[in-house]
Amino acid sequence: MENATHTTGYRLYWRTWLVLLALTAVMLGIEFLAWPEWLLLTVLLGAMLVKAAFIAGNFMHLRFERPVLIWIVAVGLFATALVLILFLALDARHVLRLSSG
Amino acid sequence: MDIARNQTNSLSVAEADLQPVEQAASLPLGVSWQKLMIWIFIVSDGLLFAGLLAGYGFVRLASPSWPDLSEVFHLPMIAFMTFLLISSSATMGSAVAAAGRAQLRTAARFILCTMVGGLGFLGMQVYEWTSLIREGARLDSNPWGVPTFGASFFMITGFHGSHVLSGLVILGIVAWRLKSGRGTSQGVELAGLYWHFVDLVWVFIFALFYLV
Repeated sequence: MENATHTTGYRLYWRTWLVLLALTAVMLGIEFLAWPEWLLLTVLLGAMLVKAAFIAGNFMHLRFERPVLIWIVAVGLFATALVLILFLALDARHVLRLSSG
Repeated sequence: MDIARNQTNSLSVAEADLQPVEQAASLPLGVSWQKLMIWIFIVSDGLLFAGLLAGYGFVRLASPSWPDLSEVFHLPMIAFMTFLLISSSATMGSAVAAAGRAQLRTAARFILCTMVGGLGFLGMQVYEWTSLIREGARLDSNPWGVPTFGASFFMITGFHGSHVLSGLVILGIVAWRLKSGRGTSQGVELAGLYWHFVDLVWVFIFALFYLV
């Protein structure tokens, strides 16, 4: 099936490698720029998510799996993690406000 | 109807050992049960790291200040560690590709390259830990002021490092089985999924812990 053609793709892996290296270089490079914090954070987190998508999609072949498996991973892992992190982050701001008076 | 379907499924599972790729298409999720198990493991193991990172996010946002990261970490070394891990993922992908073409010797060679990358990463992490501990960093205290910084650092990088270590053991076993003629292409693929997952987790640690 479609898997058979993709499992043999060296080219896909080394192209993904190049993209990941380029994104890592960008993330390191902007650390030394005097950008406002919100812009730095947006670009860093955006590049992080793109890198994660490239690894999961190409290296781990998730892109070529059936939608049901993609949803199990996307909802089971990423959506759950996001909810966990967002709720805890909101709570942390509250704790900080309380402790700083 | 149901009985007939069950029989088909049990037959598929039994034969999945022999011809995983051909049989997988008839299974509900389109992957062999071995691969499905690895994915379920990855989701649950990923949630472990999500918990650790969420905990780190909490203590960081709840702290009035956070250590100056460029003062604590040697960023060029972390960048090189990242390079090693990404490259080892690419060689691991190549091992899976070679195994898919039934070139098992080439696959074993690519796995050895992957292990070199992983060993380099782990060696540099040992060096990083040693130097920070020498500077006085502990789980409950550190010279940079915020006590929870040390706990977050050692817990998160420690859990990730132990995953790299077990990945190296798994890769060693897979390579050894290939060399002795007992390895399968699916074995390489499953080990590859785990190794890429370790790389995936590092992407988040690198961005959230070292750069932000």
